[in-house]
Amino acid sequence: MERLVQTLVDAVSVGSLYALTALGIGLIFGVMRLINFAHGELITIAAYTLLALFGQPIPVMLFGAIAVAIVLALLTERVAFRPLRNADPTTLLISSFAVSFFLQKLLILVVGSRLKGLDFLPELGRQIEFAGIRLQMLQIVTILVSIVIVTALTWFLQATRLGLHMRAAAEDFRMARVLGVRANNVIAMAFALSGILAAAVSCLIVVQTGVVQPRMGVQLVIIAFVGTVIGGLGSLSGAALGGFLVGAASILLQALLPPDLRAFREAFVFIAVALVLLFRPQGLIPAPGLKERI
Amino acid sequence: MSGAVRGRVRAAEMLPRLWPLVALAAVIVVIALAASFAPAVLQRRTTQALINLIAVVGLYVFVGNSGILSFGNVAFMAVGAYVSALLTMKPAAKSVFLPDLPAIIAHAEWPTLPGALAGGVAAALVALVVGWPLMRLSGVSASIATFAILVVAYVVFGNWTTVTGGQNSLMGLPPYVDLWTAVAWAVAAMVIAFAYQETRSALLLRASREDEAAAQATGVNVVLHRLIAFVISAFLSGIAGVLLGHFLGIVRVENFYLDLTFLIVAMLIIGGRGSLTGAVAGAVVIAVLTELLREIEIGFQVGKTTIAAPAGVGDVILALIMLLIILFRPQGIAGGRELTWPFGRT
Amino acid sequence: MSASVPLLAISGLVVRYGAVVAVRGVDLQVGEGEVVSIVGPNGAGKTSLISAVAGLVTPAEGTITFAGKPLGGIPLEDVVAQGIALVPEGRHIFASLTVTENMMLGATIRRDAQAVAADVDRFFAMFPILGERRHRPAGHLSGGEQQQLAIARALLSRPRLLMLDEPSLGLAPTLVDQVYTLFKTIRDQGVTILLVEQNAERVFAVSDRVYVISGGEFGLSGSAGEIKSDPRFDAAYFGVRMREAASGL
Repeated sequence: MERLVQTLVDAVSVGSLYALTALGIGLIFGVMRLINFAHGELITIAAYTLLALFGQPIPVMLFGAIAVAIVLALLTERVAFRPLRNADPTTLLISSFAVSFFLQKLLILVVGSRLKGLDFLPELGRQIEFAGIRLQMLQIVTILVSIVIVTALTWFLQATRLGLHMRAAAEDFRMARVLGVRANNVIAMAFALSGILAAAVSCLIVVQTGVVQPRMGVQLVIIAFVGTVIGGLGSLSGAALGGFLVGAASILLQALLPPDLRAFREAFVFIAVALVLLFRPQGLIPAPGLKERI
Repeated sequence: MSGAVRGRVRAAEMLPRLWPLVALAAVIVVIALAASFAPAVLQRRTTQALINLIAVVGLYVFVGNSGILSFGNVAFMAVGAYVSALLTMKPAAKSVFLPDLPAIIAHAEWPTLPGALAGGVAAALVALVVGWPLMRLSGVSASIATFAILVVAYVVFGNWTTVTGGQNSLMGLPPYVDLWTAVAWAVAAMVIAFAYQETRSALLLRASREDEAAAQATGVNVVLHRLIAFVISAFLSGIAGVLLGHFLGIVRVENFYLDLTFLIVAMLIIGGRGSLTGAVAGAVVIAVLTELLREIEIGFQVGKTTIAAPAGVGDVILALIMLLIILFRPQGIAGGRELTWPFGRT
Repeated sequence: MSASVPLLAISGLVVRYGAVVAVRGVDLQVGEGEVVSIVGPNGAGKTSLISAVAGLVTPAEGTITFAGKPLGGIPLEDVVAQGIALVPEGRHIFASLTVTENMMLGATIRRDAQAVAADVDRFFAMFPILGERRHRPAGHLSGGEQQQLAIARALLSRPRLLMLDEPSLGLAPTLVDQVYTLFKTIRDQGVTILLVEQNAERVFAVSDRVYVISGGEFGLSGSAGEIKSDPRFDAAYFGVRMREAASGL
C-alpha cells in the first residue's frame, strides 16, 4: 500500500514537472505555430544562473534565474523568431533547432561540458510522513508549485485583457490583429511566460538532481515536447495534460514493467506518441482554430 | 534521321540533363584525388567528410523531395552500422563484446560488401515499417514523429545490451573504409539520389510539396510517394552509418544521436535542402569550414604565444551559420537549384 | 449627397498576388454617412480590394486615403484605430471564446471601460440572442447569430467606416433580411458602410451607390437606382467588355 501511494505521488510529481515544461512549449506554439526547441536551453541556462549565484540568498538566486530566463526568451524571440514570423512551419522548426544548438554549444564553450554539482535547497530532499506514508518533501513541493503556477497562468489568461488577447491570437492570429491586438505584445508575453515556466522547472530539477549539465534541458524538453503533441498542439490544457500523462506514464511504467524492460520505458512512451499521432493527429484536446495541416 | 544521328542527338540531350550528377561526381573525385596526395591525417578527414556527404545526400532524398524535415535519419545510420557490425565482425571479437548473441549472428562472418548492403537494406526495412503509418502525417507532425524515431532508436540501441552492447562501444569492426571506398560509395549515393529524383514518383512528390491539398485532389497518392522517398533515404543513411562504423572501427550509440543529427541537418540546410547540388555543397562547405576551424582551434604561433580559439567554438560557429542561413537565405547556398549545363542549349 | 471630401478615397489601386493581378487599378469614393456597395461575381477582386483598405494586403500601386490621411503602410493592428472596422468573409468568430469575450475584443482599441460596458449592453439589447448566450462559447452560435456577433464586435470599436465582406454568404434568406435591416439602423447612427456582395439584388434596396466589379476592374458605377435599372448591368457583372455590350444591344 505504501509503495502504491509513493509511486502515485512520484508519478504526479514528475507528471507535474513535465506538464509545466509542456506548457512552456505550448504557449509559444499557440501564438506562433513554432515548436521552440530552445525551451530546453532556457531551462539549462536558468540552472547555470543558479550555479553562478550560489551563495547569494535564496530569493536572489530565484529571482536571478527567472530574470535570466525571461530575458533570454525575449532575446531569442526578437532575434531569431520575429524575422520569421510569416515563414512556413518547417522553416520555423529549423530555426528553433538551430537556436537550440547555438545556445547549447555556446554554453558548452563558456562553462565546459562536464556536469557540476549544485546543492540548492537540500532541505527539500527530506522525507516527511503523511498519513503514515513516507514521501519526499520535494515531491509535495513540486506538486504544489505546479498547481500554483497553473492556477496563476489560468487566471492570467482568463481574467486579464492581455490574456484574452493571447487566447484570441492563438485561435485566429490575423483576425485578432484586425481587431487591433498587437502581435508583438502578445508574442513577447508568451515568450516571457515561457521563460518563467522554464525557470520554475529548472529550479525544481536542480533541487531534485543536485546537478547542472549542458544537456539537462534538452532531455526534459524532448519528452515534454512529445506530451505537447499527444495533448494537442495549440491547446494549452492539452499541452499540460499531455505533458502530465507522459511524465506520469514514465514513472508508472518504471514500476510496472519487468526489470529487463524498464530501461526501454522511454521507447514505449515515444511509441505511444506515434500511435496517438496516427489515430488522433489533432491530439487529445484539440486546439480550436487549428487547421488540419499543422 | 538515321539511327546513328538520332542516337547522337539523344546523347547530346542527355548530357545537359545528367550534368548536375556528372559535375558533382567529378568535383568529389577531384577532391579525393587531391586528398590522396595529402598526408594520411588529411586523407582520413576527407574520408569522414565523404561519409558525412553520403549521410546528407540520404537526408536530402527525403527532405528535399517531400519538403518534410526528418530528424530520424541518424537512427537509420545506427541501424546500418549495427547490422553491418554484427554480420561482418569476426566471431572472436563478437564473443568478447556480445557474449549473448544468438548463434546465427554470433558465428556469422560476412564479407564487407554484403554486410554493407545488408545494413542499408535493414535500415530501409525499418523505414518501411515505421514510415508506413507515419507518412500520413503532414508537415510539423511528421517531423516530430521522425524525432520520435531518433529517440526510440537511441533508447533501444542504448539498452539492448545483448545485441548492441548497450552503452558500451562495439569495437573490432573490419576497418575497410578508406578514401577510395568512400568516394565510390559517395558517387553511388549521388547516382541513386539523382536517378530517384528524376522518376515520376519524385516529381509527383515535389508537386505535393507545394500544395498538398491540390496534389491529393488530383489523385496523387502522396503517402505512397513519401514512403518511397523515405525508404530510399533510409537506405542511403544506412550505408552512411555502415561506412562510419567501419571507418572508425567502433560503433557507439552516443555517436548516433543529437550531435550527428544536428551536423547532418545543418549541412543540408546550409547547402540548400531543395537540390542534390545543395546537399553536396553543404557537405563540402562544412567540411572545409571544419578544417579551417580545426586549424584555428589548434592555433598559430605569434612569437612565443599561441593564439588559438577555445575548443568548441567550431560548433558554435556552425550553429550560427545555420541560423544566419535560415534567417537570410533559407533556401541555402544552392537555392533549391541544381548545377546548370554551362555550355548553352545544344 | 455626401460631404465634399469623401471619407474613403481609393485611387489607381492595384493588388497583385505574385503574377496574378486581382485588382487592376480602381478608383472609388465613399462619402461620410453613405452606404456604398461593390457587387461582382466570385473572384472579381472584391475581397482583395476591401482587404487592401483593411490593411490585410499591401497594394502594388495606388493610394488609399481615409478622412484625408493616407492609409498606405500602416500596420494591420493600427487600421482599426483609424476608424475602420472590418467584418471579414466567413466572419472569423473566435469559437473557443465566449460571446462576451468576442465582443470585448471588438473594443480592443478603446480605453473607456464604462462606455464599452454600456455599448455591450446596448448590443445585447439589440441582439437578444447574443444576450441570452453571452457566456457560451461563440462556436455554439448558429451562422446568423455569429454574423450578428461579428457585426456587433466590429461596431464596438466605434468605427467611422464599417466594411463587410459578403455578409449574406451562407445565411438563410430571412436572416439576410435581418442583417440588411440592421444596416439601415447602423447607417442611421452615423456609421458609413462599405459593403461587398455577390448578391446584387439585396444591395440595391439598402445602398446609396453601387460599383460593379468584374475581373478586377469597375464596370458600372452610380446611384443604386441608376444601376438597378441599367440594361448593361448583367454584362458589367459578368465582365463582358462595355464596348461589346453596348454594340450588342
